Amino acid sequence: MRLRPFALAEPESVAEAVEILSRQEGDTRIIAGGTALVPTMRLGLVTPDRIVSLHRIPGLSEIRVHKGALEIGAMASLARLVRHGALRSGWPLLAQAAGRVATPAIRSTATLGGNLCYAEAASDPAPALLCLDSQVRVADSVGERVVPIAEFFTGFYETAIAPGEVLIGVKVPAAPPDARSGYVKFCPRSAEDKPLIGVAALLVLDASKRVGEIRIALGGAAPTPMRARGAEAAVRSQELSDHAIRAAADTAATEAEPLSDLMGSADYRREMIRVWVRRLLTALREDRPIA
Amino acid sequence: MISLDFTLNERPYRIEAPAHWTVLDLLRDGLALNGTKFGCGEGVCGTCTVLLDGEPVRSCLVLASRLRGRTMITVEGLDRDGEPDRLQTAFARAGAVQCGFCTPGMLLSARALLVANPAPTEHDVRDALAGNLCRCTGYTKIIEAVLAAAGGR
Repeated sequence: MRLRPFALAEPESVAEAVEILSRQEGDTRIIAGGTALVPTMRLGLVTPDRIVSLHRIPGLSEIRVHKGALEIGAMASLARLVRHGALRSGWPLLAQAAGRVATPAIRSTATLGGNLCYAEAASDPAPALLCLDSQVRVADSVGERVVPIAEFFTGFYETAIAPGEVLIGVKVPAAPPDARSGYVKFCPRSAEDKPLIGVAALLVLDASKRVGEIRIALGGAAPTPMRARGAEAAVRSQELSDHAIRAAADTAATEAEPLSDLMGSADYRREMIRVWVRRLLTALREDRPIA
Repeated sequence: MISLDFTLNERPYRIEAPAHWTVLDLLRDGLALNGTKFGCGEGVCGTCTVLLDGEPVRSCLVLASRLRGRTMITVEGLDRDGEPDRLQTAFARAGAVQCGFCTPGMLLSARALLVANPAPTEHDVRDALAGNLCRCTGYTKIIEAVLAAAGGR
């Protein structure tokens, strides 16, 4: 079974890529790793006339630390994020979440830029990037703009990227010193699935063991990946007691707006958000990995 | 058509292929290398797994244009002068092959694991083979085979 024929463009610069996109010739799609686009094409959900592949653009696969911030090119594979030494030590939450995506042979091919542009509500990396207050770099024919990750996901499989624009990278600021973080992914069936729900959290306890900084983000909990800001407010400045953790978990379950699908109903998702927010915050409080 | 230069199973290739072909289309229909199987076509079943620059990839998901300048290994490239390699030998000895459809993908995922991690635990093997589906329910013997190959038995 072949893909329906399309014209393939392989630009060698971002400028050339956005020039091709600006022509607006038929249904044009950008391909990064292809692990999302190709299955979508096989299912007939998209039938592009033209595909613009970013793989020949120099520098788009780069991962580097610059002035304390992590800069990841759109074409960096998830497997490289998992292996990258500076990322593992400075941004372990992102390395952990990237390592939970699908299987080794998908992570070798799938890119961070592609993962974000596909805008799967149950993305593994997205909640980590939300907790890390990341910024998304987007280029068009005029120049470049930066979109805060919290404004990047605009709807069900929709992003802030406009026609003619291309995601070129992600910038992740340094995590607060002494931050504890973790990502949990709940899969009712097999581990290589996308999660029914995923929870990422970053916690800093102050000298009096109260919550100084708390960031909680959810995947599979709404039409888009989301920050659970109500749950954060429920524990901010508090002692992280079992009671406070339950309040945060309840708030997260309430503020989530999950959809029902073949993996699970909206009600089931809400209950699992309650369970896994509680378990993750408890593990972070005790500074132990979550099983 | 696009022109492609790449190395496949240690031999240089220069060929032309339609731009909409995947690596799997190129292997099976362009080069008649039918060891790599077409299973689901969506990257889920793992039987089309090949190694690209040493990393396991799903050849049904990767456009052929991505091969330029790269090095690929398929199941046809595992043997040494007709002699099965240690993984193939271990699969045969352990009875890890039943219908055989998943075997090419299993072998290449396992090879990538053993290159990166020569002494894997059973957990490591299960992680590496996650996403390579066997519908004969042969996982136990496949895992035994990979562990045996790693142990040099």
